[in-house]
Amino acid sequence: MMIRHLALMFLLAGGPAFAGVEEAVEDHVLPRMANFAVQAGDLADAAADDCTADALRPPFQDLFDAWLGVSHLRFGPLEEGGRALSIGFWPDTRGMVGDTVARLIAEEDPVLEDPDAFAEVSIAGRGLFALERLLFEPELADYDDGDYECRLVQAIAEDLAMTSDALLSEWRTDQAPALLSAGDPGNTLYLSAREPAQVLYTALTTGLGFTAEQRLGRPLGTFERPRPERAEARRSGRPLRNVALSLEALRELARALADGPIPETEQAFAAALEQAATLDPVFAGVSDPSGRLKVEILQQRIERIQVAVTEEIGVPLGISQGFNAADGD
Amino acid sequence: MHCKITALPALLAITAAPAFAQDKIAVIDTYADIAQAGYEDSFAKARSLKEAISALVAEPSADALAAAKAAWLEARVPYQQTEVYRFGNPIVDDWEGRVNAWPLDEGLIDYVDQSYGGPTDENLYAGLDVIANPTFTLSGAEIDATEITPALLENELHEADGVEANVATGYHAIEFLLWGQDLNGTDHGAGARPWTDYAEGDECTNGNCERRGNYLEAAVDLLVSDLEWMSGQWTDDGAARAALMEDPDAGIVAMLTGMGSLSYGEQAGERMKLGLMLNDPEEEHDCFSDNTHNSHFYDGLGVRNVYVGEYVRVDGSVVSGPSLSELVASADPQVDAALREDLNRTMIELGQLKTAAEAGFSYDMMLARGNEAGEALIMGAVDALVAQTRSIERAVTTLELDQIGFEGSDSLDDPDAVFQ
Repeated sequence: MMIRHLALMFLLAGGPAFAGVEEAVEDHVLPRMANFAVQAGDLADAAADDCTADALRPPFQDLFDAWLGVSHLRFGPLEEGGRALSIGFWPDTRGMVGDTVARLIAEEDPVLEDPDAFAEVSIAGRGLFALERLLFEPELADYDDGDYECRLVQAIAEDLAMTSDALLSEWRTDQAPALLSAGDPGNTLYLSAREPAQVLYTALTTGLGFTAEQRLGRPLGTFERPRPERAEARRSGRPLRNVALSLEALRELARALADGPIPETEQAFAAALEQAATLDPVFAGVSDPSGRLKVEILQQRIERIQVAVTEEIGVPLGISQGFNAADGD
Repeated sequence: MHCKITALPALLAITAAPAFAQDKIAVIDTYADIAQAGYEDSFAKARSLKEAISALVAEPSADALAAAKAAWLEARVPYQQTEVYRFGNPIVDDWEGRVNAWPLDEGLIDYVDQSYGGPTDENLYAGLDVIANPTFTLSGAEIDATEITPALLENELHEADGVEANVATGYHAIEFLLWGQDLNGTDHGAGARPWTDYAEGDECTNGNCERRGNYLEAAVDLLVSDLEWMSGQWTDDGAARAALMEDPDAGIVAMLTGMGSLSYGEQAGERMKLGLMLNDPEEEHDCFSDNTHNSHFYDGLGVRNVYVGEYVRVDGSVVSGPSLSELVASADPQVDAALREDLNRTMIELGQLKTAAEAGFSYDMMLARGNEAGEALIMGAVDALVAQTRSIERAVTTLELDQIGFEGSDSLDDPDAVFQ
């Protein structure tokens, strides 16, 4: 206890005690934000060219992949104006995406003609999950060029491109400089060198929790009542892919943030990814006891990552998880 | 002074720690006193609500329904101020779903408008309508609901089929039974249940008036007994108070955890920003009664109460004592001043929202797509809540309590607890 306290004091008093912050921002956050913006732009271009579901499924998948690279960075620009929710509104516990998309189509709501007005539409009618309905739901995906659905797909893609551009530009001009100049006079966002480390650390641990509890926990449901239909992005066949990509992104953040070697964390990530490779792509297996067990083992392995991250990154840096957007019930 | 050669951290650890621990115990005592007073007030107001509901069921009339609604609104004032105790106190968190669960699929309980739809992928029983159906099948089991009792609500219906939206008990179930669905969308107006939904004989509207009255009485009975139980947990030898006293550092962490989690993830995020971004009036916390502005206001006030160590009871008397604010100020006056300023700012923002709502610009109108004034009011409060959360984190750091989690606090057994 006392040793830890001393270590903490040296860190607080010392100079650049949080070298990992710069590495995390420059090698993890900014490249992945840039990639997300590129993929969103590509999808919007593709949609303008050919809006049919067949044509847009591949760039949709690429964009969703890119989203998994940044979706855990739920602070600053991604929280500003609720951007994270407008990109990926999930879990949707009240089935609002289906209702909202259906209502827009039924009413042929002209709101999509003005991008600024469309940006005010319910988050359940925008973003990746509304798009997924239109591109993968059999009753919806057979629209033709010129149909309302076609224009809706284009509007959603355009909205995503605008959001991702704003996100990247805010990261470059405001958030990254603020993180890297923490404690400087005039930096009102981060008052000490410790705060950026804590914010990134919170993103890491919250991201691990989200994957274990939501991405895996929701389809698991209970033993009596498994809920495979609640898996994230099941219509586009992505539940497992999302879990694997989120773990890879979080591993990258952990490596960047750490000040020294993190062997237990590395081992725990490898074990989790190895277990993930044994699962079926949409977690249909949660309905039978042996398939269920595999998902539960993965969940436990992610919990082991959390323990390793606490010991190898949190404790040495003298930081713990702060408050996060998922603290509600 | 004569210990000059001792290393400074050791000196602090030896000489300052015991006095500090005493201070912490006194601060936790104030926190528990405020909880006790808040739950006792909620219990007393729930009993008044029960009297008003008994009068409504015994002699239904427009006046009796109005009196019951007024009693419900009063009952919410102290209760919302206790919400800050949820996060960080497992005893409260485990119990809270019985009294304040939300949002709910109200079609489980009673008749609903055609526009409500029926069962969904998420909830097969969203349209069950227990009041109209004395017997039904639930998750494969035959349920006999010919008599509507507290036990039926509590054991069979609440969270039926493992779905959280199946809310059969608590304030919001009662709210629905008093007000009915709000069918005004994002236009002004609350639910407009006619008093004749409780009338006898030919006057009864929408059928099953007696069963509806039975349901309402069973729900308020449960509310009263649940609140009585919770007040008991905070007495001098109550379990909730004892849990906090076990380890004063963990107790202070519980206080700050409750403040930060309610401010950010729950109120700013789940309740305010999400509803706004969905443009959905059903995401209003008190959607049937259009009382959401008060719900938010008193949640915010509860957070402030905990920090400044002061609570104004429903009879106007004041509970106060050594405060968390003083504790933080003794460590770093600047951090304390910034947090107090942030909490006051939040109350001004929430006050503006409440003021506009009471003047007729109701919360559901603020949620309408493209309503810029409403969005500005709601986001002003959201931003203030987010800002105060940052200051709460700084208070944790200032008190050097963020190391607590590393030591493994048993009193925070929730894996989602913030300071793991």
